[in-house]
Amino acid sequence: MLFNSYEFIFAFLPIALAGFFLLGRVSRGLALGWIIAASIFFYAWWRPVNVLIIGPSILINYAIARSLVVLSVDKTRAQWARALLIVGIVFNVCFLGYFKYLNFLTTAVNDLTGTTFVLERIVLPLGISFITFQKIAFLIDVQARRVQSFSFRDYCLFVLFFPQLIAGPIVHFREMMPQFHQVTCRFNKDNLAVGLTLFLFGLFKKVVLADGVAEHVTPIFDQSSAGVAIPLIQSWIAAVGFTLQIYFDFSGYTDMALGLGRCFGVRLPLNFDSPLKASSIIDFWLRWHMTLTRFLTAYIYNPLVLALTRRRFAKGLPGVAGGKASLGAFLQLIAGPTLLTMFISGMWHGAGYLFVAWGVLHGIYLTINHAWRILVARLWTDKDRYERVMEPVGFVLTFLCVAVAMVLFRSRTAAGASELLQGMVGMNGVSLPSQIYDRIDSLTTLLEPLIDIAVGGSATELATAVIWIGALLVIAVAAPNSLQIMSRFEPALGFKVRPLSKLGRAVIWRPALQWALATAAIVVPAVMRLGGKAEFLYWQF
Amino acid sequence: MSEQALLSLFSRILGELLGDPSIQLRKETTRADVPDWDSFNYVNFIVAVEMELGIRFSVADVESFETVGDIVTEARALLA
Repeated sequence: MLFNSYEFIFAFLPIALAGFFLLGRVSRGLALGWIIAASIFFYAWWRPVNVLIIGPSILINYAIARSLVVLSVDKTRAQWARALLIVGIVFNVCFLGYFKYLNFLTTAVNDLTGTTFVLERIVLPLGISFITFQKIAFLIDVQARRVQSFSFRDYCLFVLFFPQLIAGPIVHFREMMPQFHQVTCRFNKDNLAVGLTLFLFGLFKKVVLADGVAEHVTPIFDQSSAGVAIPLIQSWIAAVGFTLQIYFDFSGYTDMALGLGRCFGVRLPLNFDSPLKASSIIDFWLRWHMTLTRFLTAYIYNPLVLALTRRRFAKGLPGVAGGKASLGAFLQLIAGPTLLTMFISGMWHGAGYLFVAWGVLHGIYLTINHAWRILVARLWTDKDRYERVMEPVGFVLTFLCVAVAMVLFRSRTAAGASELLQGMVGMNGVSLPSQIYDRIDSLTTLLEPLIDIAVGGSATELATAVIWIGALLVIAVAAPNSLQIMSRFEPALGFKVRPLSKLGRAVIWRPALQWALATAAIVVPAVMRLGGKAEFLYWQF
Repeated sequence: MSEQALLSLFSRILGELLGDPSIQLRKETTRADVPDWDSFNYVNFIVAVEMELGIRFSVADVESFETVGDIVTEARALLA
């Protein structure tokens, strides 16, 4: 069931909440059981058969986790626990692999060997990538004894809690369970007010902002996939427009998830921290889809760096230290693990060459960023001056890099992506509506030797697209984000109050009439636009 | 090995890594308290401690150490 649908907002959510509060008066156990039942219903709504696919996997993981608890207590059986953990991880990866990558693998084999295997199309169960990652993390945590005991109900709550079931945030058992154990299951007006407001902010971001700009972006990507050469300005509209679309779509979804969790008295972890304000690509990944970065860092990148450092030290080779690194250490301890981690991130997002290319490109960005940091520490010692000069440069460069990579992420065909990238560097010329072309003919004569200029397109369409993108850019880059607006009520786990601008301080939410009116004002256009078929971009993963 | 002995050993190792012999670690010290003790130097420190003591921390422990005291406690448990 989509968060942005009539049936969710006007039927499912009110019933789920009312049932939770009413049963909470009788017993906490019943209320928590109700959340589990509601979550299964929520998941089954789109395709009931999905429950039959995901259900057994959940039960198998539960059985493995319970056995791990027993085996991990006894140190003499540690190798059995490790072996079982590996079995569990392999099971989950194969499970995901079957649904998500088998088709891709067949295509890749066909491409490489010229064969023509055809598989029946396997329908991806909703949210399988998120659900699988979360279960792998859980097994690792149990084996490491970071989770020492849990009941079947705890486990189901953790795996199925519908606000974060399909597209995250990716949560840890140890940050959720203490909350479920303390939640009162009673009506609480503060939680409900904060939760619903966050939900409505998210709804507005998704339905009005993201879906609004998508109307200008989608046709361009469709054309490029169909092999149409896209001129300069339209290519940039597509790249920058989609960057904004996915930001408002995914951070909007996350706000809704956080808000829903809060309605039930549970805080979900921070997932977005104004990533488009980042001044380096490293900074960007610390602020964009933060729970995925956290997962990849903790379970792939860090163990890899630790193992490689051990190997280097055992051979008497140096590590990376104090901003210094030999070329060997840099390649082995920074470049290699970064590229591998981002390759996996690309694969996780989608089974296709373009997602892999997107991940690897970000891996290259990050590697360059790390190399730059090491060089700068040697060459540019005045840190204050560096920050002053390089922060704006870094900000622009980061945004451009993210937008270029988004072309790969969004394009459906490699040819389409290349068409757009060529367009962005001017290889497809410029196309200007006649109203604009006629007014700047002195400029066009000047530019004509450099780039092909053609007359075409509608001035109104161009102006609307530019206004949309300009407005969203200002909101993403200059305005306080939704969590900062809610900062007085600790809207997310791990939320830290950053120093706010004057504007930021002026728009801190509190339960008051003017805020109710302002929220209503943004909800009206959002509700009017409900009922479309616009899914969240991240629900496909 | 006593806590005190481990603390002075850790101080010496970190001092050598960061080129600052004046570093004195205490049980409540965290990474944020020591300038330049970034994530790379943290891994280097952990591996150097492992080699010096002939022990091996689990990945999960390396992830979850918050204070120097946590590392001391785990090192003592592994040495026992």
